[in-house]
Amino acid sequence: MPPTRSRGISRRDFVKAAVAIGGSAALSACLDRENPDLPQGTDDLSALPERQHAWNAALQTDDHGNDVPPRHHLLLYLDYAGDGTPTDADRETVETALRSLERAYPRSHEGDVGLLFTVGYAPAYFDRFDDPLPESVDLPAPEPLAPFEDPAPDEPDAVLHLASDYGSVVIGAEEALLGETTELNGREMDATFEGVFERAALADDGPNRRTGFVGEGLPADNQDVTGVPDSEPVPEDSPLFMGFESGFEKTQATEDRVTIDEGPFAGGTTQHVSTMHLNLEQWYEQDTRYHREATMFCPAHADEGRIEGTGKNLGNTSGVGACAEDVASDAREEGVVGHAQKNARAREDGRPVILRRDFDSTDGDHAGLHFLALQESIADFVATREAMNGTDAADEGAVGQRTNNGILQYINVRRRGNYLLPPRSSRALPTPRA
Amino acid sequence: MHRRRFLAAGATAASVGLAGCRSLFQTRSARSPPLVEDRPDAVYVPSHVEGMEMVDTAEAGDYTVALTYSFPHRFWLVNGDRTNQVEIEGSDSVHLMTTVWDTDTGTVIPTDGIRTTITSDGETLVSGEPLWPMLSQNMGVHTGDNLELDGDGTYEVEVDVPPLSARRTGGFRDRFDEQVTADFSLAFAQSTLDEISFERLQDRQGERDALDPMEMDMLPVSTAPAVEDLPGTVVGEGSSGDARFVATRLDSPPAGAGGESTDEGGDSSDERPYLAVSMRTPYNGYPLPLAALSATVARDGETVFDGPLGATVDPDIGYHYGALADVQSGDELAITVDTPPQVSRHEGYETAFLDFAETSMTVEK
Repeated sequence: MPPTRSRGISRRDFVKAAVAIGGSAALSACLDRENPDLPQGTDDLSALPERQHAWNAALQTDDHGNDVPPRHHLLLYLDYAGDGTPTDADRETVETALRSLERAYPRSHEGDVGLLFTVGYAPAYFDRFDDPLPESVDLPAPEPLAPFEDPAPDEPDAVLHLASDYGSVVIGAEEALLGETTELNGREMDATFEGVFERAALADDGPNRRTGFVGEGLPADNQDVTGVPDSEPVPEDSPLFMGFESGFEKTQATEDRVTIDEGPFAGGTTQHVSTMHLNLEQWYEQDTRYHREATMFCPAHADEGRIEGTGKNLGNTSGVGACAEDVASDAREEGVVGHAQKNARAREDGRPVILRRDFDSTDGDHAGLHFLALQESIADFVATREAMNGTDAADEGAVGQRTNNGILQYINVRRRGNYLLPPRSSRALPTPRA
Repeated sequence: MHRRRFLAAGATAASVGLAGCRSLFQTRSARSPPLVEDRPDAVYVPSHVEGMEMVDTAEAGDYTVALTYSFPHRFWLVNGDRTNQVEIEGSDSVHLMTTVWDTDTGTVIPTDGIRTTITSDGETLVSGEPLWPMLSQNMGVHTGDNLELDGDGTYEVEVDVPPLSARRTGGFRDRFDEQVTADFSLAFAQSTLDEISFERLQDRQGERDALDPMEMDMLPVSTAPAVEDLPGTVVGEGSSGDARFVATRLDSPPAGAGGESTDEGGDSSDERPYLAVSMRTPYNGYPLPLAALSATVARDGETVFDGPLGATVDPDIGYHYGALADVQSGDELAITVDTPPQVSRHEGYETAFLDFAETSMTVEK
């Protein structure tokens, strides 16, 4: 999608703003700009994957074999509208509404992502049942994952993650699900969430609608927010605000690795979503390129000049596997340790155990990141985050709790939530036994 | 602030004529004189001395936190032995600072990861931005950064102090382990900022000396204990990288310094001696935090200790680097700085404490 400029505002910028605002006016304005040429979705729903999170097959890969994520994202936080436990009629309504989405848009079309989505359920949802979740599902309530953070817990009943290369598609899907339009891409909605799901009430007035984007050009076009300095430092070709590539094929868990492999939710996965602010004034205005490379990747990469620009030259791997063993010695002898370097310690058989599907955000006019990760168990996420905390590096070396300790200095985790993504066949208001 | 708002402010300034602009620039450059030429690789008298404005102090958990500010100024970040001069940005309004101390003892606690959130009329200007751990000649250990405010007005400033990552011993053993928050109301006026004292030091700048610590009733200074006040037996002193090293031996370690026996029925007290190294600035004796130190002890040609010294805060020893190690009379003690102090530096400290040689001493006591 090359940028096309219209009346001084780029299409990308406009579409991002429309997703952030939402509503029917935003939808029609967005449709005018984007004009997505997408056919309707499949009528053979039996061909759709049982794993809700099986998105990779619908994604483009770049020249290095890295999966290219959808460009526009929306997280809808929902509460069950009824009392007690959901009825079979409620389940049928939800399933019918979701199938209407699948019939309205293709997962992919000619290299573009049409519409991908997942629906997940929080521990709070399952509390209404007498039965507990089976032991094969590790889904604790969200809690702080570092001694120096104090996030608000997100405890809705459900979270819907909508993603597309077109902003108008995610807004349209939202409108259709919530009953604000009756038709989506020329197809009648056979049911909506009305009366079954409503927008969630979250702790500390947490937003129940979170938006974002990822991909070349979008962060640069949307950098006029608090948290990014006025000098417009975000590179035009960076997929994320911090100026580097991420989501290298080799730094992602496989979909197989993150899939729950037994019990009633076999074929499902767990999802962690943390919502954080980015503070990049220091990153771009005060720190050096050496510091940015050393703290994002590892000191050896910075010393050896291995990263060009945003790091596309690294190919399909961040190449920090070899630095992972040097965290303690780098903390002592270099005074700096890298984010990727620390995280690489949480790998199993050389691969990470979490699959990142994160995206940047300008919600609240502040630069942010919705860190969405999939893993077989929430414990896998916690282990990865513990590695990222670098508490050991701070204890043993010259790095601080945040100073020169990966990118902890620049992120401020504000909210955390954990969800179970059941397999597709039990995605509609499941019981703890699916 | 958003670029749009800054541009709007600029347009307003232009409309009142060039005179206003010129005086603005004069103020800026006058308060950021040229760096001293031929700076020594050591502590030196900077080009100027400036005052600061106290906003308030507030208790938070075990701490008292002071919020202060001055006009924006240059400082240096440290990565390993590299320094990086941070210039004043046109949009910077103030240099905002915190000093954090233990309420009971008045000991200033070097800490990093302090974050600040600034709101004004419900608008968030700064959300959880970390302040750099810093060292300046007249303020000692503190945290700070140049930040942008939105003109005269009242700002709510929240300061979050994370649990301390340095080891705590003695009377500090079970302290500073919770995240706490101090809230302030900052009534900011450019005219007050402009009245903060500023004095060029053209006669003294570049000399190997340091400014005196600022004296303020409300604010303790982060001075390390005087050598004669250190507990235990001072077994040696040395100097490298213009830092001073004082090594002291305690016959038993302070509580929390590790080595406590956990044997059931065993004696829980540990009689192994403890080696503490206080690394401090010359002249003012400020502790130098965020470094990595290690030591070797050789006796009769044989190495009896070789290991890291952990960053530790203790009410009696102050901020120091320590380990369980038996140092006896006649031993050769060698102290190595594996990584220089990663604390950011104000002018006069940026060329010191970066390049160290091993500091060796023969223990005489």
